[in-house]
Amino acid sequence: MLRRVDFLILLLSIISTVGISFIVLPIIALFLLVDPDILVRSFLKEPSLFMEARHAFITTIEASLLSTILLLFLGIPLAYILARMDFPFKSLIEGIIDIPLMIPHTIAGIMILCAYGRRGLLKGLMNTLNISIEDAFLGIVLVMMFVSFPLIVDTIKVGIMAVDPMLEMVARGLGATRFRAFITITLPLSYRSILAGAILAWARALSEVGAILVVAYFPKTANILTLEWLNVYGLKYAVAISIPLVLLALSLFIALRLLVRAK
Amino acid sequence: MILIKDLLVKIKDFTLNISHLEIRNGEYFVILGPSGVGKTVLLHTLMGFIKPVNGTIIVNGVDVSNLPPERRNFALIPQDFALFPHMNVFDNIAYGLRVRKVPEDEIRRRVLRIMSILEIDHLSDRRPDQLSSGEKQRVALARALVINPHVLLLDEPLANLDPRLRIKARSLIKRLHKELCFTAIHVTHNIVEALDLGERIGYMMNGKLIFVASPEEFLRTKHARYYINELKPLLKFIVD
Repeated sequence: MLRRVDFLILLLSIISTVGISFIVLPIIALFLLVDPDILVRSFLKEPSLFMEARHAFITTIEASLLSTILLLFLGIPLAYILARMDFPFKSLIEGIIDIPLMIPHTIAGIMILCAYGRRGLLKGLMNTLNISIEDAFLGIVLVMMFVSFPLIVDTIKVGIMAVDPMLEMVARGLGATRFRAFITITLPLSYRSILAGAILAWARALSEVGAILVVAYFPKTANILTLEWLNVYGLKYAVAISIPLVLLALSLFIALRLLVRAK
Repeated sequence: MILIKDLLVKIKDFTLNISHLEIRNGEYFVILGPSGVGKTVLLHTLMGFIKPVNGTIIVNGVDVSNLPPERRNFALIPQDFALFPHMNVFDNIAYGLRVRKVPEDEIRRRVLRIMSILEIDHLSDRRPDQLSSGEKQRVALARALVINPHVLLLDEPLANLDPRLRIKARSLIKRLHKELCFTAIHVTHNIVEALDLGERIGYMMNGKLIFVASPEEFLRTKHARYYINELKPLLKFIVD
């Protein structure tokens, strides 16, 4: 019996090791394949390549940060309503919020064009406001918001649900309006979830490429540029440009892990 | 005086119906009844968290039925005390005064006074998770009383305390009530608590207030018999 259990554990361990290696190997390989010469050349010696890469990184970071900030404004009130209130069609709304998780990325881009594009549903409004999302920074922000929306709302909702509603009730009895009770009680007690939601949304926004390709090839984001360099200059250049983005994504991942552990 | 008239609350299949109840200023009124008869629903309706289908709640001649909870000046002490975990004891107690924009020096004076009455001065900087159940209860009482509420609503406030602390807590509440003369509505399913604290007892069954009586009168009703029968084995043991 003991032998059989030992064999089972051994088998499970081998399968698990294969699984973990499958994930770890590409990360290690990326760093091993970095050609220092190309890294130096692309970022230091060739100003045109350097400028292109720098611009793509700035665009990516600006767009992903802006989309995360806008999502916090949209997501916190929505998460509060979903966590605290019961109303007709609530589960339908919760389902709708999660749709971007299920939609293939290129189709998500098409959907955004259909809604907010030059020929989309809101073309009248967009033309009146003189706003265009095609090949525009705003298009990238909208795409990032669309794909990150479920992550931020769901994470914050779970955090707010974990705050005892009785605390808000007591605060209101003591004279606080619903808004004040939210600001002074619920928000400080759920800030870790809000931060975790923001980090997840930011990381998701950083990684988006398919929908951005459809809506706004320009200004180029780091992901688009990586694809372009892969096609034009080959794998070694693509690796060189991937490094900063991977480091940023890994830092976000570590921040999230630390936050979860601190909980 | 608090006057509750023709109060009707419906929550799914449950109905709460209180046709008439008057509570005098400074009275300690206990609502007694088994679990699930609507005692907490009544408190939450008085607080303004549940909107009644019908009825009025009048406090000193003013109809508060349509006011939001923050404008009723009713303070709630729930079973688990619900202290704000991210604030220390001082800030917990000062919360209601800060919300009312009371000047900071007056807040300090009033908070220190109530802390001294409740003998919790030494806990000022502690967080709720560093307090015992008895200390939590004192902080919750201080936080509610410091705002001078029209009425203090206590929802099974002794249920989470062990028997020794319950006796202490009852005498603390009695002393505070004598000193500060606040109006209180205390709901419980514990007859000892009701008899010891209540100047009058309202007995609830199935969402209705069956009667209101003094503790002595209550003991002579058929409803008291259930509670007394429950205590009989204990009494017999003590006599033996």
